Amino acid sequence: MAFIIDKQTLDDLNIIGKRRGDAIYSLFNKTQTRGGAQVLEEMFLYPLSDRDKINQRSGIIKYFQQKNIAFPFKNEAFDAIELYLENTDERTKLAAEEDTLQRKLRGYMGADTGYEVLHKGVVAAIEVFNCLHDFLREMDGGDRAGAYRLEAREMQALLADEQLTWMYGEKGSRKLAYARTAKYDQVLRFAARDKMKKLLYYIYQMDVYISIARVAAARGFTFARALETKENTLSIEGMFHPLLTNPVSNSLQVDRSSNVIFLTGANMAGKSTFMKTLGIAMFLAHMGFPVPAGSMEFSVRSGMFTTINLADNLNMGYSHFYAEVLRLKKVAEQVSRTEDLFVIFDELFRGTNVKDAYDATVAVTEAFAEKRNCTFIISTHIIEAGETLRDKCDNINFVYFPTFMKGNIPGYTYQLTPGITNDRHGMMIINNLRIIDIIKSRRHHLKLV
Amino acid sequence: MAFKVDKQTLDDLNIPGKYKGDSIFNLFDHTRSRGGGQLLESMFQHPLSDAEAINIRSSIFQYFQEREIEFPVSRDQCEEVEQYLSSAGSNNMAGTTLMIMRKKMLRTIASGKEYDAIHDGILSMIGFIHAVNDFFTQLGSHLFQYPYRETIREVKQTFSDAGLRQLLAEPATARLPVAKVIKYHHLLRTVHQQSLRRVLQVLYETDVYIAVSRVARERKFTYAWATPFVEGGNRIDIAHVFHPRLGGAVPNTVRLDHGCNMIFLTGANMAGKSTFMKSVGIAVYLAHMGFPIAAEGMAFSVQDGMYTSINVADNLDKGYSHFYAEVLRVKEVAEEVSRGQNLVIIFDELFKGTNVKDAYDATVAVTAAFAENRNSAFIISTHITEAGDTLQEQYANMKFVYFPTIMDKGIPRYTFRLQEGISSDRHGMMIIANEGILDIIRGKVAI
Repeated sequence: MAFIIDKQTLDDLNIIGKRRGDAIYSLFNKTQTRGGAQVLEEMFLYPLSDRDKINQRSGIIKYFQQKNIAFPFKNEAFDAIELYLENTDERTKLAAEEDTLQRKLRGYMGADTGYEVLHKGVVAAIEVFNCLHDFLREMDGGDRAGAYRLEAREMQALLADEQLTWMYGEKGSRKLAYARTAKYDQVLRFAARDKMKKLLYYIYQMDVYISIARVAAARGFTFARALETKENTLSIEGMFHPLLTNPVSNSLQVDRSSNVIFLTGANMAGKSTFMKTLGIAMFLAHMGFPVPAGSMEFSVRSGMFTTINLADNLNMGYSHFYAEVLRLKKVAEQVSRTEDLFVIFDELFRGTNVKDAYDATVAVTEAFAEKRNCTFIISTHIIEAGETLRDKCDNINFVYFPTFMKGNIPGYTYQLTPGITNDRHGMMIINNLRIIDIIKSRRHHLKLV
Repeated sequence: MAFKVDKQTLDDLNIPGKYKGDSIFNLFDHTRSRGGGQLLESMFQHPLSDAEAINIRSSIFQYFQEREIEFPVSRDQCEEVEQYLSSAGSNNMAGTTLMIMRKKMLRTIASGKEYDAIHDGILSMIGFIHAVNDFFTQLGSHLFQYPYRETIREVKQTFSDAGLRQLLAEPATARLPVAKVIKYHHLLRTVHQQSLRRVLQVLYETDVYIAVSRVARERKFTYAWATPFVEGGNRIDIAHVFHPRLGGAVPNTVRLDHGCNMIFLTGANMAGKSTFMKSVGIAVYLAHMGFPIAAEGMAFSVQDGMYTSINVADNLDKGYSHFYAEVLRVKEVAEEVSRGQNLVIIFDELFKGTNVKDAYDATVAVTAAFAENRNSAFIISTHITEAGDTLQEQYANMKFVYFPTIMDKGIPRYTFRLQEGISSDRHGMMIIANEGILDIIRGKVAI
């Protein structure tokens, strides 16, 4: 079953990104080939919810990272192959008997572009698959390929097919005679077409693995270990936001006895960033990708829902509060339908008056807390709600981001601290900026004039 | 001194913006000429700060609103005239003759286009002068005690010149002989260039008056009456104000004066707080321009400026939180107030970026301090109804109003009508109960 995720969540975490430049996807999108970029996109669209598949993929990426393997192919060859293999029109099939004087003349004049393209495609295919052949031979046909051995063996088997063995004799050829081009073309484009496609797909996957391994190494990402779903644990240390320049790292432990995280703190103190970071780490972990953290172990979840930047839908006449309630309802339905979800809510009920927000936060958090197989991260400004919940539930982990004063300006440690915030820096800032004095100074002003 | 507003205020109220479909400027911009559009823009950029100037301008609008007057020339015609008046000319008759003869020759030899351009320019000038002369004659005929009269007299003076009268006798369609082209070109481009430009300018003004007053007529806008500011006599009185952009908007009445210079506004989020605040802000701004306002009536003393804070954006690039951004905004306004300015100040949901205790303390402290500046008028909204309870006990110069929410079979409905008091709505929990959210979470409801 696929990992459940929705558009709001993808947007909140900026996974795919409206503008491609600053999304998580583009962070990893360093593939050499276009086909590789497509495979990567597929992986982003379909995160995994199967423990073995996750560990398998992260094992492969880890293997490539440890061996520090570079992508062995030349980039240009792929454009030629793609174009070449796409062309499955029988009429373009070369026939050996058409090797006439007329065709030769045209060839000399440079007018036979159709043949040129096919010839180039055949040469590129020979080059790429020879290269793959050599690459696999270095791995001893997959015996030394660690986690990658299954795929390596499958490729090896495909390459060993007798339909293709002629290729190794043509290794290094740059120009082929017409008759031979025609013969090889028949094999590559028609007889062994499916094998070609499969091999190319493996190569694209390899491209993805290698580029991700590089990104991970360059940015200090590590590999998460997926655990059984039913444990509902999450242990993440030194987690940081991958798109920030100087991120502060934080750690978090979640298990069945602390499956609700109640987060407080001033507005810039780091609440949203923390929630996004956690969401991104969970998302990447469920893809089997390296995560921005020092270490991570997690029970595989069946889906994730975040509500961090909920837009008012004023055109439809929804207030912010109503939009929040509708979103909450949607998540609540998922929670009651599916087990093992990971849920993030940033500042629930900010669109209503304080008493209402307090009541609603307490009631909803309490109800969520009963779902021990799900994990909830809930942030709020209503610290009083936290104090009430402390008495009512025993499985809530209270954490906050502290604020300290740096002269007049509030400063933040961005370090997650146990407890509920009791910062009263708002008034302190107002006092430090002498706002009340400034307002009141007017009367003196008038007397002087 | 000009009426002071800053960018944030203009953005909050969505006032300028030729290229923003829903700006207030665009509401009024139905001008027929480019010059008129530019003039309108400049009026929007420079609101007035003199009661007399405001009242004069609004009385001109009123005059045009009472009569359906059609703007006499088309956009294209104005463009042609502008172009003709700014084309190359000569300072004396001889120079003009030489130039035109040369162009005429060029036309014969090498089919040069320049002679035709001048010829057609003169023809469109003739058409233009015809239209404008008729228009101002007609307009002048029913002007008596009307401030625009002098301007129109000036225009008619221009047209009474003998040379121009000759032009008026010329039909606008005929092909002119070279001699006439020379004569008229000299007349229009050299002798009367300045006065014709002035006519054009007056015409642009008229364009604005007609366009704006037509909008006012269609939308049933009225005009505010301005009085100079007197110490202790500050007032802003708007009867049935509504948002000019919203069709079928519910009107509300506002009164702020020396005895009661602060409105403390509460209510649920969709109940109409922001719209009301924007409506008042827009009415105050338009009133200071002498423009028609979306209300049944308004009387106000001229203010020094206006500051609103309705959509304070987080400035994440600078590392400010919402709270800090708001505090800085409050400080900015506080400094203006302390300078002895008489301002209109509108704050929507102050201090929403901090925890509740802080927001409560800050709202009470700041509101109380502001309220003592009796020469400024304030509208402050908040979700922290408790702050209102505290302030109500201490200050007589604050008026407490709210927008109610009515529950209609479980669905919140809003009257959009101001009521006295502080909101005590608790419909948030009711909505949550109606949606059955807690039961859904607990799995008690089959989906």
